[in-house]
Amino acid sequence: MIIDIKDLKAGIDGTEILKGISLTVNPGEVHAIMGPNGSGKSTLASVLAGRDEYNVLGGTVEFNGHDLLDMSPEDRAREGLFLAFQYPVEIPGVSTANFLKSAVNEQRKYRGLPPLEPAAFLALMRERMKLVEMDPSFLQRSLNDGFSGGEKKRNEIFQMAMLEPKLAILDETDSGLDIDALRIVAGGVNALRNSENGMIVITHYQRLLNYIVPDFVHVLWNGRIVRSGGKELALALEEKGYDWIKQETAVA
Amino acid sequence: MMSASMPTLRAHALARFNELGVPTTKHEEWKYTSLRKLVDELDSVLDSVLVDELDDVLDSVLVDELVSELDSVNVSKDSLKTSSQTSLKTSSQTVTLFNGTYRPDLSTLIDVEGLTICELNDELVASDEKVGAAFTTAAPIDAHAFVALNTALATSGVVITVAKNATIPTPLTITCVNDAQTENVLTTPRVLVIAEEGASVQVIESHHAQGEHTAVEVGVTEIIAHANSNVTYVKLLVDVGNTHHIGFTGGHIYRDAVIRAHTFCIDGTFTRNDLELKLMEPGASAYLDGVSVLNEEQFADNHTVVDHLVPHCHSEELYKGVYDGKSTGVFNGKIFVRPQAQKTTAYQSNHSLLLSDRASVNAKPQLEIFADDVKCSHGATMGQLDEEAVFYLQARGIGRDEARALMTYAFAAEVIERLPFDDLRTYLEERVANKLGAQP
Repeated sequence: MIIDIKDLKAGIDGTEILKGISLTVNPGEVHAIMGPNGSGKSTLASVLAGRDEYNVLGGTVEFNGHDLLDMSPEDRAREGLFLAFQYPVEIPGVSTANFLKSAVNEQRKYRGLPPLEPAAFLALMRERMKLVEMDPSFLQRSLNDGFSGGEKKRNEIFQMAMLEPKLAILDETDSGLDIDALRIVAGGVNALRNSENGMIVITHYQRLLNYIVPDFVHVLWNGRIVRSGGKELALALEEKGYDWIKQETAVA
Repeated sequence: MMSASMPTLRAHALARFNELGVPTTKHEEWKYTSLRKLVDELDSVLDSVLVDELDDVLDSVLVDELVSELDSVNVSKDSLKTSSQTSLKTSSQTVTLFNGTYRPDLSTLIDVEGLTICELNDELVASDEKVGAAFTTAAPIDAHAFVALNTALATSGVVITVAKNATIPTPLTITCVNDAQTENVLTTPRVLVIAEEGASVQVIESHHAQGEHTAVEVGVTEIIAHANSNVTYVKLLVDVGNTHHIGFTGGHIYRDAVIRAHTFCIDGTFTRNDLELKLMEPGASAYLDGVSVLNEEQFADNHTVVDHLVPHCHSEELYKGVYDGKSTGVFNGKIFVRPQAQKTTAYQSNHSLLLSDRASVNAKPQLEIFADDVKCSHGATMGQLDEEAVFYLQARGIGRDEARALMTYAFAAEVIERLPFDDLRTYLEERVANKLGAQP
């Protein structure tokens, strides 16, 4: 078990958004979380990554045997949690290469490993960039600064490839991507999928799941997981929309 | 232009200083820069230091009040530490102004074709036509009280002349050492740089302090960039300790010439820099940038003036500041575009980062445009670190403090990166990174 979320409740500014979420991800599993806008999908991602404007109101999250909710955002990352941001931040003056060097070496230090040699590190970056068809010139550019939407999302997956997380949370990584960029991003994600790690793929659209095929699909609505199933659930949602589930939930 | 004899000029300058007085915060240009504490220090400095030479120069003139305040104490010149330990290792040529006095014995001078370095003194000003013509043009005694004071007191500065079409291959460092080991001192370093037509030179003016007593440094640098010349001027306040620095740099830029001025305030209890560049003939360009990185109770004030007097000139300005602790920054950037200065392009930006609730900054861009066919812009921002960006770095495993330091460093480094010298860039990157607790 990589992560075990039990009855997680959280909110912002006194408003409860997550009203009791339970979800377990085991090694090798990809879980998709779908739901209409405002259902709490991005809140879940933010709370797991440790964004401090959200308040945890109840429940527990065990990650790698640790109490995740008790850890700083950087320690969560060092333990192997990775959030691919819905809106990656532009940081002028910090080159992508320097940023990644800091990130990788901080994580290595946490795990008691020596920093990577610069030459080996550069070679590794160049190799991993190929996964998402990024040009090496991006390494010297300021992080996300002036990148297109698609370039930013590819950069997120490139960072994931460099950091090799145990659990990757992809927060609407498909939003705003054209089909070519979507194919590239999904190709990168699939290449990083293995029997040791897990992923939570948050998306509004079923389209992404044609490319990243999930083992489980959960529907989040009004702060709760109201239905779980296999990949066929995503297809049913594509066909019938979310209203069908909302109605069933309301009746129940 | 010097027509009066030096003693008369000094007397005028001192009279002017007395007339203007030490500015108070009621003075528009000193609104955010209180000299009250400094005046106390200055009084005690003036009490304890005497500039003997001045006595002779001034005997006939209207400065009795000031002179009577000055005790006849000689500056001890035996207590010198050599300046080498504080000087930068970035260039082969080093000129040392020790407590404002040119000291060839503490300088490293190498013969370079086209480069002349000599003492700037009364005799030279009187006898050398070019020096006489240049002296006090880019820093007129009316500019402000401290320029007058420097002009009155500085008797042994340095003049650097670069001959027509000469290119000086390595930067020249002027090390201004303020030695307050045995007593309080008032120092008045004076520099004149003359780049003849087509000449190219890079000058690093580096200010240093030693000793526990207070040094008040009132410096003036004039740069005359003749047609088609190229002057890079770097002012470093990186190792000034508790020196109170008040410095004025004036530049005149002639046809197709360029002055690039870079100002770094990385250290210093109290710093006031005035930088005034005048674009005198068409095709002249001025580039000004600077960064202040302050903490504790440090104070730095950068006042800049870019004066477009004629058409077809270009200026670009970028000043940044990082303020932590209880530090205070001031930026005042004036751009004048005179009525005849059509086709001017002038850009200015100023960005401040406040890292603490107790730090403050006063920023005032001031564009006065009297021509109608010009492109001018200015922008100023003031703010804190972007918390979303800090979180982004944390979410990749970079600790919160490191993330903040990394972003702060990146903010300041934008200015350092513009320096054309690798050694100096590396040196400043390390100093700034150390101060911020970041990795360069």
